[in-house]
Amino acid sequence: MTDVQTEKSFQKQPTVFLNKKGILTGKAKKNLRYVRNVGLGFKTPRDAIVGTYIDKKCPFAGDVSIRGRILTGRVLKLKMQRTIVIRREYLHYIKKYSRFEKRHKNMSVHLSPAFRDVKVGDTVTVGECRPLSKTVRYNVLKVSPKTGMKALKGFTKF
Amino acid sequence: MGISRDKWHKRRKTGGRMAQLRKKRKFELGRPPAMTKLGPKRIHTVRTMGGNKKYRALRLDQGNFSWGSESVTRKTRIIDVIYNASNNELVRTKTLVKSCIVQIDSTPFRQWYEAHYATPLGRKKGVKLSADDEAAINKVRSKKLMKKYEARKKVAKVETPLEEQMSAGRVLAKIASKPGKHGRCDGYVLEGKELDFYLRKVKSKKGK
Repeated sequence: MTDVQTEKSFQKQPTVFLNKKGILTGKAKKNLRYVRNVGLGFKTPRDAIVGTYIDKKCPFAGDVSIRGRILTGRVLKLKMQRTIVIRREYLHYIKKYSRFEKRHKNMSVHLSPAFRDVKVGDTVTVGECRPLSKTVRYNVLKVSPKTGMKALKGFTKF
Repeated sequence: MGISRDKWHKRRKTGGRMAQLRKKRKFELGRPPAMTKLGPKRIHTVRTMGGNKKYRALRLDQGNFSWGSESVTRKTRIIDVIYNASNNELVRTKTLVKSCIVQIDSTPFRQWYEAHYATPLGRKKGVKLSADDEAAINKVRSKKLMKKYEARKKVAKVETPLEEQMSAGRVLAKIASKPGKHGRCDGYVLEGKELDFYLRKVKSKKGK
């Protein structure tokens, strides 16, 4: 459990009571964990159920509900702690020329520790949740790894 | 009001400044923090948005603390603040905030335990118990009643770190309420992994 406690205060899931008599004296069951089903047909990853991480912003093992929009995007940057930048591309129609132009928007979304092995270029499905920080309002629900050879900054419409 | 909780003074995600769109409004107000200290009770009430009340505790010395594994809650005296994850300054000034670690007086819990399980808890070895304590622990009971107490004794074991604290008369607890909001300093006794974690933190601080 020591690898989980990296902060100055004790990390735990608030809804899990760790100090029941049975646990203290060692007659415990498996590790107590609160996991929830986010709904909308999204499977909760095995790492969320089996893992020991504590993340209050995780949609599977934390205190956020997914409601509202579900969007997809491509992973752009993985440099932040537990959050990533995704790039969403779309076509904008110009009436005068009856043609389209490419546009994109970047978005910061929260990435739960349940998703390991996420690489730049993976396609990611995100769901809307309550504001988690100044710019983060979405939470990663599903990661589909990049298949085939595609240019990194190439245009992929989703 | 000077403290304001608005968003429009901050920059956008792109880095651009936001033009001021209105003056400060009352619903965006912020108030100075309570910085509840240890001392005889002093609580001020604040009228909040909608006419509701907040109880700003300025000084507190007692709280309702619960011993989770035994499911007992008792009102006890708060003795000292010993750890705060956010700010060491708050420990130095003995400020009570949510999630700070305090030492509380353990006698009400000890009294409950001895009456419930009829076994001494946290007594120093070799020290004779006073007459009242003896009476509480070894009260004359009927045979039927004794059976109930014998059954209870099977689950009466308390973990060693907690027992040591009980014998010292002070138990570590964590504040779980917000004194500046509710005017109360309630919390729970630290046990198990959480207790180990905070004991280690306190020891490393003292070591420095």
